[in-house]
This record gives sequence, C-alpha cells and structure tokens, in this order.
Amino acid sequence: MMNSTIIAQMVISGSLMGLVYALIAYGFQLTYATSKSINFGQGELVMLSAFFSLSLLNFGVPYWLMIPGGLLFGVLLGLVVERACVRLSLEQKGEGWILLTIIFGLFGFSAAENIWGRDDRPFPTPLPADSLQVFGINISPLEISVVVGVLGVMSLIELFKRKTLLGKAFEAVAADRDAAELMGISATHTIMLSFGLSGMVAAMAGILISPITTVGPTMASSLILKAFSVAVVAGLDSGFGVVVVGIFLGALESLTSFYLGSGWREAPGLILLILALAIRPNGVFGKITIRKV
Amino acid sequence: MLIVDNIYAGYGSSEVLQGTSLEVPAGKIVALIGANGAGKTTTMRAISGMIKPTKGRVLLSGKPVQGNGAASIANLGLAHAPEGRKVFGPLSVEDNLLLGAYNHLPMFFGFRSKAAQELEKIYELFPRLHERRHQTAGTLSGGEQQMLAIGRALMANPKVILLDEPSMGLAPVIVQEVFNIIRRLKESGTTLLLVEQFAKSALEVADFAYVMEHGRVAIQGTPAELNMDARMLAAYLG
Amino acid sequence: MLKRLLFIRGAELATLILLATLPLTVSNSYVLGLLTLLTIYGILLIGLDVTVGYLGQVNLAHAAFLGLGAYAAGLSVTLFGFGMLSALTVSLFIGFLLGGLLAFPALRLEGPQFALATLSFSALSTTVLNEWESLTNGAQGLSIIRPTLLGYYFNAQGFYWLCLILLMLVWLAMRNLLSSQWGRTFEALRDSPIATDAMGVGTFRHKVAGFAFGSSLGGLAGGLYAFNFQYLQPQSFTYDLMVILLLGVVLGGRKSLWGAFFGASLIVLLPNLLSSKLLFEIISLAGLLLALVAGVHRMMKKSALPFQAIAPIIAMSILVVGGYVVENTENWRKAIFALMLFSVVVGLPDGIMGFAARYLTRLFNIAPPALPASNALSDVLPLQIVDNQPLLVITHLKRYFGGVKAVDDISISIRSGHIHGLIGPNGSGKSTAVNVISGLYAPTSGELVLQGKPLPEGSLFKVARSGVSRTFQNLQLFGELSALDNVMLALKGVYLSPLPMVLLGLAKPQEKRAQADALALLELVGLKDQARVHAKDLTYGSQRLLEIARALASKPKLLILDEPAAGLAHPDVNILIEIIKRVHQFGITIILIEHHMDVVSTLCDVVTVLDGGQVIAEGTTEDVKRDPKVIKAYLGIAEETNDPNLIPSEP
Repeated sequence: MMNSTIIAQMVISGSLMGLVYALIAYGFQLTYATSKSINFGQGELVMLSAFFSLSLLNFGVPYWLMIPGGLLFGVLLGLVVERACVRLSLEQKGEGWILLTIIFGLFGFSAAENIWGRDDRPFPTPLPADSLQVFGINISPLEISVVVGVLGVMSLIELFKRKTLLGKAFEAVAADRDAAELMGISATHTIMLSFGLSGMVAAMAGILISPITTVGPTMASSLILKAFSVAVVAGLDSGFGVVVVGIFLGALESLTSFYLGSGWREAPGLILLILALAIRPNGVFGKITIRKV
Repeated sequence: MLIVDNIYAGYGSSEVLQGTSLEVPAGKIVALIGANGAGKTTTMRAISGMIKPTKGRVLLSGKPVQGNGAASIANLGLAHAPEGRKVFGPLSVEDNLLLGAYNHLPMFFGFRSKAAQELEKIYELFPRLHERRHQTAGTLSGGEQQMLAIGRALMANPKVILLDEPSMGLAPVIVQEVFNIIRRLKESGTTLLLVEQFAKSALEVADFAYVMEHGRVAIQGTPAELNMDARMLAAYLG
Repeated sequence: MLKRLLFIRGAELATLILLATLPLTVSNSYVLGLLTLLTIYGILLIGLDVTVGYLGQVNLAHAAFLGLGAYAAGLSVTLFGFGMLSALTVSLFIGFLLGGLLAFPALRLEGPQFALATLSFSALSTTVLNEWESLTNGAQGLSIIRPTLLGYYFNAQGFYWLCLILLMLVWLAMRNLLSSQWGRTFEALRDSPIATDAMGVGTFRHKVAGFAFGSSLGGLAGGLYAFNFQYLQPQSFTYDLMVILLLGVVLGGRKSLWGAFFGASLIVLLPNLLSSKLLFEIISLAGLLLALVAGVHRMMKKSALPFQAIAPIIAMSILVVGGYVVENTENWRKAIFALMLFSVVVGLPDGIMGFAARYLTRLFNIAPPALPASNALSDVLPLQIVDNQPLLVITHLKRYFGGVKAVDDISISIRSGHIHGLIGPNGSGKSTAVNVISGLYAPTSGELVLQGKPLPEGSLFKVARSGVSRTFQNLQLFGELSALDNVMLALKGVYLSPLPMVLLGLAKPQEKRAQADALALLELVGLKDQARVHAKDLTYGSQRLLEIARALASKPKLLILDEPAAGLAHPDVNILIEIIKRVHQFGITIILIEHHMDVVSTLCDVVTVLDGGQVIAEGTTEDVKRDPKVIKAYLGIAEETNDPNLIPSEP
C-alpha cells in the first residue's frame, strides 16, 4: 500500500504547479471579461517574459529589479497582442483574433528559439534550496514563493478592481460596454489595460515557475493547454474559481504521472477540458447566457 | 445647448432617421414622443454617439460632435440614461453612481471623498438609493434601477441629460415617482431631452415637444398647442 | 454558358492532364515525390477547408486526423494484412468516426472554445500515439509496408497516379457536395445559425456532418501519407504542422477547392523556397510589393480599415529586412510562416484564390449559369385547410428571465386561416411570446398546442419542422448568400436525394426544381430580378421582403411575422400589405406583430393587445382601438374616455 505521506507529497507539489496554471487562467479571465477574447499565444508570452527575465539576470541586473523588469516586459507584450491581433477583430465584431493570437504565439516561439536557443535553461533563484518540513511533508521555499506570488498577484489585481475607480470602470466595461462608454469610459483603453494586466500576470507566472521547471521554448505549449483546461472548467468569469480548479488539476496530474507514467501526465487536463466543454461549456462556476434575437 | 440638425442615421442598411432636427435650449425640458419605430431611441443614440449619423450635425454648446465616440461626447458634458436602464449589475448602487462621475474623479484613490458631496445630493433626491447603496444594482427593482440610471446621469454634472423611456416596464405608481423626479429636475433648471411612450405624462412636464413619425419630426410645439392637435394623436396610434 | 464551362471545367481538366503526364516527361524522383505530396496535401486541405472555410471555425485537430488515419492505415496492413483499398477505407473511416465523436461535444461551442476543444483533442491524440507503445511503437517510430491492390504493387509512379486519382475523386465529390443544399447550409449556418434552425434546417447536425466529412478526408490523406513515407512518428502530427495547414488554407483561399489546391502547392514548395536565400528575398519582396499596392489601393478606396492596409505592409517589411539580417532563414521558418499568415489574415482574408476568382470572372466576363423559369406559386405553396378550429392554442403561458416577467400568463387562441395581430407598447412581451412559440426560448410554464398536438418547446428546429415559420424583428438573413440561395435553403420537401447521389453529382435535377420553386417565391415578393444579388447588398425594404419569401419556403401552416413593416417607407408598406394578403389566400395562418396601425387594421381579423406581459384586450381592430385600457397603455391617459374621435385611423 502506498505511503500516504508520499501521496500527500505528490498532491501538494502538484497543487502548487496547479496554482501557476490558475494564474495564467486568471489572465485569460481579465481579457475575456472586457473583450470576450483570449490570447491563444499566452504560453509563448509566458516563455518570452521568462527568457527576458533570465537575460536581465545574465546582464547583471539584481534579482529584485529583474522582477518588475520582467513584469513590464509582459505588459508590453500584452499591449502588442491587443493592438496587432485583437483590436481589428473586435472592430469587425469577428473572431479573427483566434487565428491572429495563434500567429503571435508562432512568431514568439520562433523568435525565442533563435534568440535564446532551443535548450532548456536553468533559472536561478535567491531562495535557499533546503526544504522545510510541514506536517511531515517537504515543501521548498521555492514552492512557497509560488503560492505567495500567485495569490499575491491575484489579490492585488482583485483589490485594484474593487478599490480603485479605474478598477470599477474595468468591471463596468465587462458588465456593459455600451453603458460604460456613456459614462465617458473608453472601452478601447480598458481593453488595453486588460491585455496589459494579462501580460503582466503571465510574466509573473513565468518568473515563478522557471526556477522549478527551467526555461525553454517548449514550456509554452505544456503550460498553455493546462491553463486552458483550468479556464474552461472553472469558467471564464469565475474569479477565484480558477484557484480551486487549478489546485485540483495540478494534484490530479501529479497522481497520474506517478501511477501511470510521466507520458500520461497531460491526459487528465485534456480529458477534463473536453468533458467540461461537452457538459458545461460555461464552466463549473460560470454563468449561462441568454440568446437575443 | 443641444442642437440636432437634419441627421440621418440607422442600423446597417436600415436608415431609420430621415432628416431629424430638434433643439434643446439650456434649462428647458424637451419631450420627444411618437409611436414605436418612429425613431425616438435612434435619435438619442445618434446624439450620444452610440451610433454615428451618416448625414447632418449634432451640436453640443455650439461644438459639433457628430461622428465622435460615445465616451468623448460623454466627456463633453452629455449624459445619456439609455433605454432599458443598463445599470452595471454586478456593481453596487454607490459604485454605479461613482462611475457616473468618472470623468471628473481621480482614477485610483480619493474618489469617494471627492464625490461625497455629489453623492449626498443624489441620495437626497433618491432616498431609496441611499438605503440600498451597498446592494448590487442587478438586484434592484425596475423602478429603483431607473432611479439609479437617472442618478448616475446626474452625477456627471452634465450640461444636457438624455433620458430614454424612463417609464418602460414600470408599474404606474412608480412611473408617477419618476415623473415627480423629473419635475424636481425641472425646478432646478436641468436641461433635459426626454423620450417617452406615455405622451400625456411627457407633455405634462415638458416645456416643448417634438412628435416623430417615420424617422422625422412631424409636429412640434408647446404642450398646450399639441394637446389640441388631433394629428398628434393620429401620428401616435397610427 | 459555354464560356463558363470552358473556363472552369477546362482549367480543371488541363490541370489534371498536366499533373498526370508530368512524371512521364520529367523523370526526376524528387519531383515525383513533391507531386505525390501535393496530391496528399490537396486532399488534406480540401478537408480542412470544410471547417475553416465553409463552417468558418478555427479547427486545430486536422493534423491529428492525418496522424490517426496514417497509423490506422499502416496498422491495418501490419496487423490484419489489409490490401490498399481496404487500408485506405479504414483511414477514411477512422477519420470520419473520430471526427464525428469529437464534433458532438465540440460543435456545441462558440468559436474560441471550439478551437480549444480541437487543440486538446490534437494534444490527446499525440499523447496516445506516443504512449501506446505496444501498438504504435511510440516515439521511436513505426515502419509501414505499402500494400498491394489485387496483387499489383505500387512503385513510386504508380502510387502517385493512385493519389492523383483519389484527389480527382475527392475533388468531384466535394464539388458536388458543396454546390448542393449541403454547401448552402454550411454557409447559411455561418451567417445565422438561428435563422438556419428556424427554417427547419438543422444547424447542429450539418455542422457535425461537415466536420466529419472534413476529418474523413484528413484520415484518407493520412493513409496515403503513411504509404508514401512508409515510416511514421507521432511528433510529425503536432501543432507545428497544424499551423502550416492553416497557412495553406488561408493563403490559398477559403471556401474554394482551387484555394485548397493552391495552398497545398505552397506548403509543398515552401521548404524549397526557404532553402535558397535569393529565392526567399525575391518572394518576400514580391509580397511586400503586393502588400503596398493593395494597401494603398484600399486606403484610397476606403474599402478597408487603416490597420488592414498598413499592418500587412509592416509585416512584409519585417520579412524582407529579416531575410537580409538573419543568417539562416531555415531556422526562422515558423516566424516566416507567422508573418505571411498574419499579412494574409489581415490584408487578404479571401486568400489568393478568392482575390483571383473575382478578378478573373470580371476580366473574362464570365456570367453565372442561367436560371430556369419559375414555377407557378400554387405549385410551390400548398393550400392549407381552413376550418373554424383553433390552429394554435396558448394557455397560461409564462416566460420569466430571472426577476423580469416578460410574459406573465397569457392565453390566446389563434384560429386557422386568420391573420391574428399582436400589438402592444414597447416591452409588453410580444416578441418574447413569439420567441417562445417559435422555440427560441422554452416557456417557464404554460402550454402550446398546435392542431391538437403539443408544440415542441425550446427548439427552433423542431418547431420549424412542425410547420411554424417566422421572420425576425432584427433581420436574420444569410448575408453572404444570394437572395435565391436564402430562399432555396428553406425549401421543404425538395432535397430528397440521399447523400451518395449528391456526391456522385446525380442530384442536379432537384437543384433545378428548387431554383424554379424559389424563383416563384421571389416573384411573389417582387425580388425575382435580384435573385443573384447577395442578401447583404439588397436595400432594406427588399431585405424585409426576402425574409418573408424565405419563411414561406418552408411551407408553413403558421407564419409569424415580427414587425415586418419596421423601418419601411410608405410605398413599401403598401407592397407588404398586398403580399400578406396573397399569402393569406393560401390559407396560411398568420401571427402579425406590428406597430403600424394601418397595417394592423387593414389585415387583421383579430387583434390581441399585450401590456406588461399580459393580455389586456382582444377583438377586432376597431374594438380594440376604442378600448380604454388600450388607450391608457399606449398614451398613459388616466381617465376613461368615450370620445370616438380620440383615436382616428387615418393620419
């Protein structure tokens, strides 16, 4: 019989990875709320921000300065995606952004391969490597930093949405774009903000996870599908629902990998995604929309 | 204050407005009435920038604004309380009101204190909103949402308010309340363009009225003149 | 007519002959390999075009179907000793089956979620192919034996001809399919799935069928792929390939067989184009030039948004400059595809073939094929039996949206053969009531009985099939289809040929009959001369009338007209009244929502007045206009009045 401590260990470690998926999914929610669109190239955005941050470190930038630098880079990429890939489709009220954000991802992948190379690179961390023991389970400071980082960023943005007027304007555009415009709130600027924030969130995810999993061009595709799974299962308007689903998926993946082999690791997320799309497309926590004619 | 000069506008290939002209002088209440499909709401939307006129001009304090986006027209001092209220459902009553004043409040912090006085005035006008100020707007009744929509428009300190079908879907008793509010606004010298289905109620509060038919103004005059006019009622019910 | 035949069929025949005879003249095995790959990708892209072009969805699973078909075909030979035809049938079938299975959940979804569903299916397939090592040998790869056909072994040339023959068969079958009611349905459901269902043509089933066809072709291409390379690896069928396939379809031109073929040529030649730096520079400069010309042209004509004109220029400039700056263009392959695809999606959405087709038809003045004479209207619209019985009985109907009681207990009886008016102020519940009857919404409670049988609830399709048709307050035309196609789509009882007959091209007579029937209906509404005009290019008044013609095509017992006169000018309103009177002569029962009182009083036998979701009056138009409750609802007058002059019926 399996040692329950080992199982618990798996579950905890997996959940922490799941939090990163949840963070990226949270980024999807931000852009979906205001514009009903998401960046299909978000995985590449995570990867590019991580690589950029790595380069900053290699150029001698101190760690605490690297973090805002990397986040700023994420914001910039998010704004590029909005301007180049999304705005046109929104004006045309079409779905061309799906293909255009995919193209962005493709370009980003190729650029990363050539600028930084195809190999996975280690990402340094100032945190000590020794694990702490909590209730008999090993948790490294790195893993704790993931929890702190994910929940911290999400909380900050939620606070921004609730406590600042700009944040309320954000919610207003998400609730009723036309009415918001009548208040003098520019929907376009708000959408730009949402993509900028989404990019920042993605960069944060990259910075948090790279010390654990290394940085490489392939990290994009592996992260993105799982983030999609979390986003769809939780619902693109579920707020903190993504955290719950993310933890669940991470734990499930960890256990699958342990019992069935690492090749099957991807399977739970994918199956969950297809099932969720089949049964409840708006997600477990999401809302149902009424058709108007 | 607001001049609409021979505008044409519509949706897609349907040109609903075929040369509509009207004027709202400062401090006056002007009513825009007419049968459904005559183009009243389309006119409001063309003024506030929700749709762009294909021909003609809209002048706000003498400045041409036709073709501008809705947000920029709002920032020039025009508040539009649209048909169907369109309050921000997930946000609280107070948040809705604060957003009404978006164009002159600080974006990040300190907005609540700056807006305190204006909020006071709105709450004094609508005591029920004060009671429910922390409730989410989506849970309010139809009448309360209408109060909120009007309050939200007032928070902008606008030069002109456009009020589109405030009585729609409301019980008669609530409609009375709404018109009482409009009367109070009249007393305080607000400039208001009112679109209404209930012609009689609109004519009771208005200083001047335009009757629309088939995308144009068919008749215009003071309420006294119009009450006599059988044509008006005909344009109304067919 | 002859000109058209010559050009289009001639081009097809000439290309076929060229492709067939090329290996006889050029004995280069490399070229032969390219040609074979061209035919395989041709089949693959034709399949992809069904979902991407016709259904208008971003389908990310197609590369997976290629792989699954390939493995299925290969394994059927190694494990069961299948011959060539059987193996290919297996690959076709696997594509069809798995495509259908994926389509059921996936096609209920909107665009981005559909893309996600297909993406995850693709990733799942790769995982299965990698992990099921006992069957597929995983990442190490699987060797494939090329099977024989009745003892005949295919050498390279022979195999090429087999592929070419299959391409030709696929081409013919798809051409027949897409020019039939199937093709029309694919395009219609893209413009308005609601109207497609409301006309009795099942949106969902057609989407699933379309997807399954497309993926079956993907599977077939996979089988050929396996026997071409005779070695398979799971990593060949991933996202990378998928993006290239999308590039091919979009660049070549969506909704076009030639576009798919052109796109396939591009994909096959692309590696060669990239290996030579000089060639790459020439092509990218040509692309930049094209982008500049097109961009400036469109800016001047204002036929596109500035971004659409400028962005491709920027992208192509990056391509040109990048080509100079980087050492090895081969390494930047994906970035190059990305830039090309971006320019095409933004600047040339119809692809090269789309652009060329318009240009060529104008240049050579190719007229569309002639239309048959229209049938008599009495042959198209059946005479309905008019007894004095109620046709539709609505009992205690309620429809709530959360706290909003849009329809709050209404009971109406609609007599067969009547024109029954439904009027009331804004927000009174008329449209909601009619939306419930037609099946857009299910009732919250209450009963709907049509001719003694319960009316299906909550399904536009089922209600349409029961003999109820409708028009919409906000037009729901199929904008990209012609007026004729709009009506033809909705025709009932004409498209009876089974699918195999359609594929074989044997369903042409019923197309002709459908055209003649549709023309009769267009004639009724006065649009016969505009039969070939795209619905979105018609005047507003004509569009309103077209919706009526389309609604009649499903030969309904009950026709619901939702504000047909909205926004119509006075002369058009009179035309509308005449048309409705003629329709009435066929005994069709009509529910008419209107605000124009003269329309209502001229046409309606009975009028029901709604206010606040409830019935407040019912009777003839005259009765109802005098009813004080009605006057109050419209004008807000508090006191009752008996003044007969108060509501005149003439302006």
